[in-house]
Amino acid sequence: MSSVQLINIVKNYGQVKALNDVNLDINSGELFTLLGPSGCGKTTLLRTIAGFHKQDSGTIKIDGSEIDDLPAYRRDTGMVFQDYAIFPHLSVGDNVGFGLRNKNVPPKEIKDRVAEALETVRLSGLENRLPNELSGGQQQRVGLARALVIQPKVLLMDEPLSNLDAKLRIELREDIREIQKKLKTTTIYVTHDQEEALVISDRICIMNSGEVSQVDTPWTVYKNPEKYFVASFVGSMNFVKWPRQSWLKNNPLSLKEISLSSKGVVLDPNKENIIAGVRPEDISLTSEPIDKDHQNIVMSGIIEKISFSGREAFFHILLEEEVRLLVNVSRPDELSLKEIGETINLVFPKNALMFFDEKSGSRC
Amino acid sequence: MKLLYSVNNIWTYVIILAFGVIGLLLIFPLFNIFLSSFIDNESGVLTFQNYIDILGRRYYRTAIYNSVVVGVAGMIGALVIGIPLAYFTSRFHIIGKSLITTLAILALVSPPFIGAYAWITMLGSNGWLRHILENVGISIPTIYGPLGIILVFSLKFYPFVFLLTAGALSTINVSLEDAADNLGCSPFSKFIRVTLPLVFPAVSAGALLAFVLSLADFGTPSIIGRNYRVLSTLAYNLYTSEMGGNPGLASTVSIILICISLIFVYFQRNLIKKKDYGSSLIRRPEVKKLKQAYSIPVHFLCYFLVILSSIPSIVVIFNSFRNTSGPVFKPGFGLDSYRRIIGDVPEAILNSFLFSIASVLMVVVLGTLIGYVIARKPSVLTGFLDSMIMIPYIVPGIVLGLGLIVTYNSKPFVLVGTPLIIILAIFIRRLPYSVRSSASILKQIRTGVEEAAINLGTIPSKAFLKITLPLMMPGVIAGALMAFVTAINELSSSIILYVGGTVTMPVRIYLSVLDGEFGTAAALSSILLITTGLAVYGVLLISESKENVFV
Repeated sequence: MSSVQLINIVKNYGQVKALNDVNLDINSGELFTLLGPSGCGKTTLLRTIAGFHKQDSGTIKIDGSEIDDLPAYRRDTGMVFQDYAIFPHLSVGDNVGFGLRNKNVPPKEIKDRVAEALETVRLSGLENRLPNELSGGQQQRVGLARALVIQPKVLLMDEPLSNLDAKLRIELREDIREIQKKLKTTTIYVTHDQEEALVISDRICIMNSGEVSQVDTPWTVYKNPEKYFVASFVGSMNFVKWPRQSWLKNNPLSLKEISLSSKGVVLDPNKENIIAGVRPEDISLTSEPIDKDHQNIVMSGIIEKISFSGREAFFHILLEEEVRLLVNVSRPDELSLKEIGETINLVFPKNALMFFDEKSGSRC
Repeated sequence: MKLLYSVNNIWTYVIILAFGVIGLLLIFPLFNIFLSSFIDNESGVLTFQNYIDILGRRYYRTAIYNSVVVGVAGMIGALVIGIPLAYFTSRFHIIGKSLITTLAILALVSPPFIGAYAWITMLGSNGWLRHILENVGISIPTIYGPLGIILVFSLKFYPFVFLLTAGALSTINVSLEDAADNLGCSPFSKFIRVTLPLVFPAVSAGALLAFVLSLADFGTPSIIGRNYRVLSTLAYNLYTSEMGGNPGLASTVSIILICISLIFVYFQRNLIKKKDYGSSLIRRPEVKKLKQAYSIPVHFLCYFLVILSSIPSIVVIFNSFRNTSGPVFKPGFGLDSYRRIIGDVPEAILNSFLFSIASVLMVVVLGTLIGYVIARKPSVLTGFLDSMIMIPYIVPGIVLGLGLIVTYNSKPFVLVGTPLIIILAIFIRRLPYSVRSSASILKQIRTGVEEAAINLGTIPSKAFLKITLPLMMPGVIAGALMAFVTAINELSSSIILYVGGTVTMPVRIYLSVLDGEFGTAAALSSILLITTGLAVYGVLLISESKENVFV
């Protein structure tokens, strides 16, 4: 169990700022996820911690001591790779024991620890198999066992599930979560899959263009995004632009039937355009007429498209010219008879609305 | 519908023609050799005596032993040079990387006997480099004998290891090396325990080529080996011996040569069995910058190795402009040697070009067609054809030459002494290269494009001519140039098959070296080298991937 500090990490590739002043404190024993779109710098950051490339400036500390000058093979991190990176010429047992042999652990002990590690990842008895006899999911379990068996200070996982099919992905992520909780190995987990990040993590760091957008628990990241980017990347969200002239004059948010004033929302008059957002699942649909009240926002629109996926349905509602809202209905039964072109009422609580400054992307 | 049938028949004819050619030029001659190895030279009865002689008498056993020794040592030399060169050039920024590759390719395609001859002019008993070294107080062992053969083989065949290994090293999944790093492997141990095993199939394929070609080579041991007997020179001497040749014994030696090659092919196949590490999940290695401290030694090493292997070519061209008198180089430069070859042996130059062009035309046409049926019309028959076509790889030129002589020296097919037999020998020896390269080009061209043409109303034979063939063309031309290079440098079968009027440049060079006509040899070698260099330049111009064309 070790803590990791990243202090002012900068890494440039030519003109591209791959990592722009990244500061993170990763607590001992937690599963910490780096989440972001491809090219956001999350993998670069992970590989920098592993020592595969060096940061241009900044310091990495494990348990308070700097590791900047240690080569990758002496950093004592265990890495799980996106493409498994199982040595194809070695048996499963030799793969798992590879790191122990580098540490000159006696053969007898290697054998025991390998068996134990394979048991942990539920691959007992497969020591003598060759990797090409294993499925992708099994190979990644070998990868996990191989990284865990050396009892690394930090476990680094680089999109470990992205090459597996959907069902295996869910199965293996539950196992990873369980094993990590049991062993309490500090883990840094990279993924671009927001659902995976939400399910597996103690804390999530959302990255964008080489910078940290927000670090929080899954719950906070989803419910209380600090940035426009976080709100748009994690989960889905309806955004409506609210031009500066409009909110300064206290004009209603330019939606036909909303009479939402800027009262109750503290807006800095220096701000430019505002973007208002509401999550699709916070909006309810009903054919019944609804009275307006001060808690809720009520409006009506025309159903433009319905995407039904079994346990839920997505309604695309046209409010006015070019303004559309996506509504997620989790139990679509009562709306099953609705058809495209019909008018429907929408209602959502005022506090479900979030406001972001268009220019800085910060919450306001 | 009728058209479709006749078109299908075209490929049937190709298959029949292919089997006919292989049968007549390869299987039948080899069978005759096999048969003749069991026939007593004097009485003409069936006997095991030839085998008993070869395996029983120390004189012959030494040749077997020597062949394996220089073959294995040449292979090891090729590995020692080829692997570091491959590693450094594929993983690090080396200044002039394409120059290094080009020099290696030139070393590969230039005939080995030129290397042997050039080293003699440098380090032979009268060599200039020896004199220079002796003057500064360094005396080195004589270049004649096994050491010279091994030196030439190593410097000649390392490009196989180099090009194949470099190709494999740059397509390895680099996550595996990262994983080794991450698990605490030091850089050297990472190379030994992870990188090398991963490229083992390529390394061993290169090593096998180096061994098989070393074993089959006739010119090098014959020129630089002096009294060091190997199987290829033994077969030649047994056949052409002054005291009346012994075809039976020569055949037996041939069969033993093929058997040794086969054993090594089998051994290598077994070693790489189940070692196909191809994976769809691949992160290609990045080419890194060398650390300042390593940069100079690594550059020095790379350039030292390729320049060492290019020295023979440079020396030969240099020698061709020196004034000579027999084996002695005299002061001063001039075009005497060139004047002499144009005056004395113009037919050798002419023959070489005529025979090579004729055989290359045949190789390209038939090779492309056979490549097509193998790649696109898979069946039991074409699968069998595919394995048959590989036979020439393991049949030394000397052995094929003997086979053709034994087969076509009596009525009704007397070909011995004609240009045709030399052309046919070159043709059958080069056919597999052309077949393999056109088959591999075809594997990169999707069948869909031809099917699309047929779907749009083109008849299949026209679809092949209009769609597939143009797409294949760059590869076919590159293959033709490579076939030309190997054809014009062919020595080991021609040396057996030539008569006065059908002498070729390599044969003439060989004879000149033996006669001590170093000037003539240098001028002819220079013509060969320049021709070869131009052809290789042409190949480099039209092909993207260097390794695939040359290896």
